[in-house]
Amino acid sequence: MDEKKTLLEVKDLKVSFFTPAGEVKAVDGISYSLGYNEVMGIVGESGSGKSVEAYSIIGLLQSPGKVTGGSITFEGEDVLSFSEEQMRQFRGNRVSMIFQNPMTCLNPVYTIGNQLVEALLCHDKGYSKDQARARAIEMLELVGINNAEKRIDQYPHEFSGGMRQRAMIAMALICEPKLLIADEPTTALDVTIQAQILELMKALQKKENTSIIFITHNLGVVAEICDRVSVMYAGRIVEQGPVNDIFYDPQHPYTKGLLASTPRLDEEGRERLVPIEGTPIDLLNPPQGCSFGPRCKDCMKICLRQKPPFVQVGDGHISACWLHFREQPGKGDKT
Amino acid sequence: MDGKFAKISPFQIDPDKIPALTAEDFAPAGESEKASMVQMHKSISYWRDAWRRFRSNTVSMVALAVFLLCLLFAFVGPSLIPYSYAEQYRASQKLAPFAYSKGEETIRSLEGSCDGFYATALQPGSITALSKGDYYISDRGSTYAFSLTKAVEKSVLILNSKAEEPLILVKETDLQPDGSYKAYEPIAFTESPAEGAARLKLVRSVFPHVFGTDSAGRDIMARTMYGTRVSIIIGVVAALIVLIIGSIYGAISGLAGGAVDFVMMRIVELIYSVPEVLIVLLLQVVLKDPLQQWFDTSPSAFAHAMSDLGAGIVSIFITFALLYWVTMARIVRGQVLQLKKQEYVTAATALGASSGRIIRRHLLPNCVGQLVITTCLQIPSAIFLESFLSFLGLGVSAPMASLGSLCSDALETITLYPYRLVFPGIILTVVVLTLNLVGDGLRDALDPRLKK
Amino acid sequence: MTGYIVKRIVVAFLTLLLIMCITFLLMNAVPGSPFLTEKSTPEMIARANAKYGLDKPLYVQLFNYIKSYLQGDLGTSLKMQEGTSVSRIIFHQGKFTLSLKLGVYALLLAVIIGIPLGCIAAYNRGKWIDGFLRVMTTVGVAVPTFVLATLLLVTFAVKLQWLPTLSGSLPDAKSYVMPVISLSFYYTCYVAKLTRTSMLDAINQDYIRTARAKGVKTRALILKHALRNSLIPVITYLGPVMAGIITGSFVVESTFSVPGLGKYYVQSVLNRDYPVIMATTVVLSALVIVMNLVVDIAYKIVDPRITLTEKED
Repeated sequence: MDEKKTLLEVKDLKVSFFTPAGEVKAVDGISYSLGYNEVMGIVGESGSGKSVEAYSIIGLLQSPGKVTGGSITFEGEDVLSFSEEQMRQFRGNRVSMIFQNPMTCLNPVYTIGNQLVEALLCHDKGYSKDQARARAIEMLELVGINNAEKRIDQYPHEFSGGMRQRAMIAMALICEPKLLIADEPTTALDVTIQAQILELMKALQKKENTSIIFITHNLGVVAEICDRVSVMYAGRIVEQGPVNDIFYDPQHPYTKGLLASTPRLDEEGRERLVPIEGTPIDLLNPPQGCSFGPRCKDCMKICLRQKPPFVQVGDGHISACWLHFREQPGKGDKT
Repeated sequence: MDGKFAKISPFQIDPDKIPALTAEDFAPAGESEKASMVQMHKSISYWRDAWRRFRSNTVSMVALAVFLLCLLFAFVGPSLIPYSYAEQYRASQKLAPFAYSKGEETIRSLEGSCDGFYATALQPGSITALSKGDYYISDRGSTYAFSLTKAVEKSVLILNSKAEEPLILVKETDLQPDGSYKAYEPIAFTESPAEGAARLKLVRSVFPHVFGTDSAGRDIMARTMYGTRVSIIIGVVAALIVLIIGSIYGAISGLAGGAVDFVMMRIVELIYSVPEVLIVLLLQVVLKDPLQQWFDTSPSAFAHAMSDLGAGIVSIFITFALLYWVTMARIVRGQVLQLKKQEYVTAATALGASSGRIIRRHLLPNCVGQLVITTCLQIPSAIFLESFLSFLGLGVSAPMASLGSLCSDALETITLYPYRLVFPGIILTVVVLTLNLVGDGLRDALDPRLKK
Repeated sequence: MTGYIVKRIVVAFLTLLLIMCITFLLMNAVPGSPFLTEKSTPEMIARANAKYGLDKPLYVQLFNYIKSYLQGDLGTSLKMQEGTSVSRIIFHQGKFTLSLKLGVYALLLAVIIGIPLGCIAAYNRGKWIDGFLRVMTTVGVAVPTFVLATLLLVTFAVKLQWLPTLSGSLPDAKSYVMPVISLSFYYTCYVAKLTRTSMLDAINQDYIRTARAKGVKTRALILKHALRNSLIPVITYLGPVMAGIITGSFVVESTFSVPGLGKYYVQSVLNRDYPVIMATTVVLSALVIVMNLVVDIAYKIVDPRITLTEKED
């Protein structure tokens, strides 16, 4: 990939939680890169490490969580080597984040305006208080809040769930960050509101030229908004590729399973939904072989022993599964 | 196919290091093989888990151990020392910790030459229960009794006001109500301690007054032990009263709901807004005489048991029963309301379970953690209230002692004998502190949701 | 808001009325008469009873109490210098002011010291200062007021002689030190513990994560975002604190010989001085009730979610 076009490069990132019961490898070596103006989806079930991975980019990882290996490079700068103050300046300014539950993510005792203005003022951008307020109103209008002049002095509890998420987005974008990390931003919302928020994010992404990492377990949302998708399972990426490849030509059994268990409206969907049997593995005692092995209906002997390497299965489309080797037993051909 | 291995993601496995794979490797894995890969946590029961969490909490475990020591001190301690909380030893007044009266010093000087008895100073003219076979030594007006054996037969020693005159040992049963007695048996009496001790060949050592003695010559350690016992009993009983009344009231209110709940909660609110200490003080004064009258006239065993405790303590219990259950009632009601909304209770109701069954099977086990915690934390607050009342002179009355009344007694002579406050004060603080810490530990262990 | 306050004031009056009834019933349940002394004859007692209206039926007496209280008349003492008016004793001889001053200073101290200590502990969670403060506050809530008061007295007044033994009517700043510290120590520790817990609770909330994601400085995170939210449970506690400080004042006033209302109340109960018991109970209860009302309004200021029209349970 062209160096100039790379905004964020994550290499072999490892994050562990050191709990009294032992080390939990929440993220176990994941790599990807993200270009300017690109929207990438990270899909996986709860506990697959997708939020942890995002938190480590923005430095929100809290004890007992710790980055144990790998690197994160943002516009050529090594994020992991930032001092605390550099990290603070980095957060909210160049990368910002919105979260799952808009009901609890805004401080209940301050007005929306206060919290928006704060986001702007803590990054020394030379705004006066009045200018910051004007900018906050502008942002609220941008995210589609009517009567922003009046709304800005209201408290979060006077906003509906969808409105709060809009305010969260306004707050995240107020410093014009290069990257927005959206951690399940629509999960806690009603379906109709979900669609509105997605539309809004799509429109804003085009308008503001912001890259987005969109974390979700909802494949429908991914199809809606993303250019590229990474599928995570038990702390690893199992498949990564352009959104259409993932949806129409999934290669990894887990991705296939996910798709089979998701209702689809765009197809003549008379086929039954097939759940993925079993539960995710215990990250305290990860198996030696492929993490998905115990739940995989095509599990083979090799899967129990060894973790599979990535295989390029299409243009920019990779998948990690021993099944790709089955056609040609023997050493993977490189010639 | 060129570049089959992805190069864009440097990954954990170097493709070159992949071992040669055989057809065998691609054979489907069996279900049992798949299952053996997965190691799941064992699930353990709520109480086992709670105990495990409590045990891993060092502070709470230490607190529990210290509290158990306090219990030993209060309940076993009195039987290990030869002094009682009420007995007054005239020769041993106002002793500092580990100080001895003259007579005690005399006996101590004999240490080593004999072994196997302890001495107690007796007051001339007093009536003291002793056992047959005891020996007595006279020392400048004070008479010391030596216990050789445990009580064989309970007897009473009559001492004349002048200790030189003969002493007579009387069977307790022979003692007339008017104070006259039938001579029973003259007792062994020696003029000098040395002679007595030599005859006995049984000197151990005089038990020290570890905490000293008070102005009436009572051993402060014995009184502190007794006071600790009284305070702990008051705390536990008051907490149980609060638990019973509060949880019944709260459960009825929460389960009934509607108008009943509304009225019951308004009552709770009213009681809540009454400054209870004012009423408590008033109650203490009001209840004293009627209670005393009840003790004196009622033939029931219950009244008798209560009169042993004394009017002060019983009115503390009544106060708790009247005023202090409201917090417990609120907590229980809150729990019940919360649990009523839970799906499993709805499910049980839908399946036609009776309300009694729902209470027993679902509400109670889920409330029990909260109840244990609140009750445990109620004990120190009851101990506090009792000590406060005793300090103001309203709780237990002499010769009974509680930690509060001991502190109050000490206050009169605080500038001369500060240690009289320090010992009961420290014990009181330690008991309350350990109970608080155990309560906190229980909360963390029983209600992990509350743990931060 | 106004409607709510009116409603609360009505409820407060009802509570006071209830307290008057309870107090009256309890007072009259005490056997013995205020006029019973060694010299008194039955006729003398009867005459005195008639003079003060104690021979009338109980409900008439109660009604008279309520009537005169509504007119602002707290009655006359039966014991103190034949017919001294109770309101004079309570208010003009400075008893109420003394107790109120002690109480208010103790409350202020508890808040001003307790909250910052709690913040410091929470901010330095797990460090030695947190450990130290936790030990101190945990021990602090286990030391009874009278033990602390006496130890202070012995140490600073008797042994070191830095401070006066008898605080009396609190003539100078020095005489305030020990009474106020002993009165507020328990509550300072409790407030610090409470602040620490609720601060840690607040720090784990989602909105703190949001603020961190915005790039808010750590200090602003604690002082602006966490503190105000964590104050809510602390404010709830201040109502009971006021009631507790009145309790504590009984002990402190007797230890330091301050002629305040608390000491006076205990005396009047023991003397069966009915009008004084009634007046003191009503005045102190009113203080607690007003304090609770203030706390509820303070809520509104700190937490905009509470609208004061409905009461949460």
